[in-house]
Amino acid sequence: MSSKAAFQSKELSDKLILKIRELMKQLNREIHIQHVCGTHEYAIMKHGLRSLLPENLVVSAGVGCPVCVSSAQDVDEVLWIADNHNVIIATFGDMMRVPGSKESLYQAQGRGVDVRIVYGVSDAIKLAEQTPDRDVLFFSVGFETTSCVTAAEVIRTTLPNFSIYSSHKLVPPAMELLLQRDDLEFQGFLAPGHVSTIIGAKPYDFIPEKYNFPVAVAGFEPVDILVGIYALLKQFNENTSRVDNMYKRYVRYEGNVAALKALEEAYVVSDARWRGLGVWPDTGHEIADKYSHIDAKKKYEIPELEVTDLHGGCICDEILVGKSKPHQCKLFNKACRPDHPIGACMVSHEGTCNVAATYEEIIWED
Amino acid sequence: MCLAIPGLVCEILNDKRVMVDITGVRREADTTLLEESLDIGDYVLVHTGFIIQKLDPEQAKEDLKLWDEILSS
Ligand code: SF4
Repeated sequence: MSSKAAFQSKELSDKLILKIRELMKQLNREIHIQHVCGTHEYAIMKHGLRSLLPENLVVSAGVGCPVCVSSAQDVDEVLWIADNHNVIIATFGDMMRVPGSKESLYQAQGRGVDVRIVYGVSDAIKLAEQTPDRDVLFFSVGFETTSCVTAAEVIRTTLPNFSIYSSHKLVPPAMELLLQRDDLEFQGFLAPGHVSTIIGAKPYDFIPEKYNFPVAVAGFEPVDILVGIYALLKQFNENTSRVDNMYKRYVRYEGNVAALKALEEAYVVSDARWRGLGVWPDTGHEIADKYSHIDAKKKYEIPELEVTDLHGGCICDEILVGKSKPHQCKLFNKACRPDHPIGACMVSHEGTCNVAATYEEIIWED
Repeated sequence: MCLAIPGLVCEILNDKRVMVDITGVRREADTTLLEESLDIGDYVLVHTGFIIQKLDPEQAKEDLKLWDEILSS
């Protein structure tokens, strides 16, 4: 069997599910695992994995989708810059419908704000090259996977009419803040595969060391996710905690050295605003002083704005930490739908509410 | 957002750019964020136009071996 076929194999998945059931029988208690990755949530729902797992094994979604966690303030500030300095906003398609305090970029586009969807930062730079008489602002969101790409351009771009608004966030310190909350009950982390291709497995070492808490790094094929869950159950069974790297084909212990260097060169660690959750210390990346010519937050003097993160009863703050499930929100699939999102978790196809609405599954019902 | 797509390197364009075949579609990708060199036939992960990691064939075999062990245990 080729490796690709093996990673997608139904036969392997079926066998793994039997193994997981066996282990759960031995453990004989409820186990709650949290992943922190929108792509994991998407894959879990798309393949209906929750419905195949034993009932006493709960896999919840934590702060994993960079679109969902971006604060309304970031949208508001980018729009303030557009309104007051006549810049072109370039950003990922997923960001268009993220609610700001009063409007989304999509709504602002309707009243004439120049917003362009780009595939990535490099396309935003091309746009700036093509429009030398206009300023272009790239609204950059993302965890380490995306922010290292932006970092590469921060380092090498010198266009005077181009700037970047950084809404970048870091995964490991956010995981630590989840661990420190005493209102959340879960016993193990499934760590995000693509973020880990950049940062490696090493940055998770503090989790077992300091918190005695199991971690497994997992990829995105059904087999990858099941193997990750299996690795965590094994740790519970052996009454131990460590970081199991179950995505070795792409994740090295030390990560991607060149990408890490770019991150370190382009950014400084900063506090970051998370949707509905306030400011979390040391969980963000701002552009380093050395590159302030490209930093939109320094280029434009942004006044203090009044910010509303959650609208009309949206419980994204609870969804984002895995405390509530989408159907527990009274707006879910009623007033708030993928074609009409009220909260940020309903926007991206990897947002927890959006995925749940798209692949509605009985397991979400109590 | 953090979605990275696996592809196959099919042409080396210069020291910073390669052509990658992503399920039949050829796309240019930037190699700035990769320290290792690439050869035609390497599997890579592509994220917003940049190669962010190269598949390690030895480790892929390790993954498969580990799974065999799990299943035969
Ligand atoms: S269903 Fe909509 S309003 Fe409710 S938590 Fe999810 S995103 Fe927010």
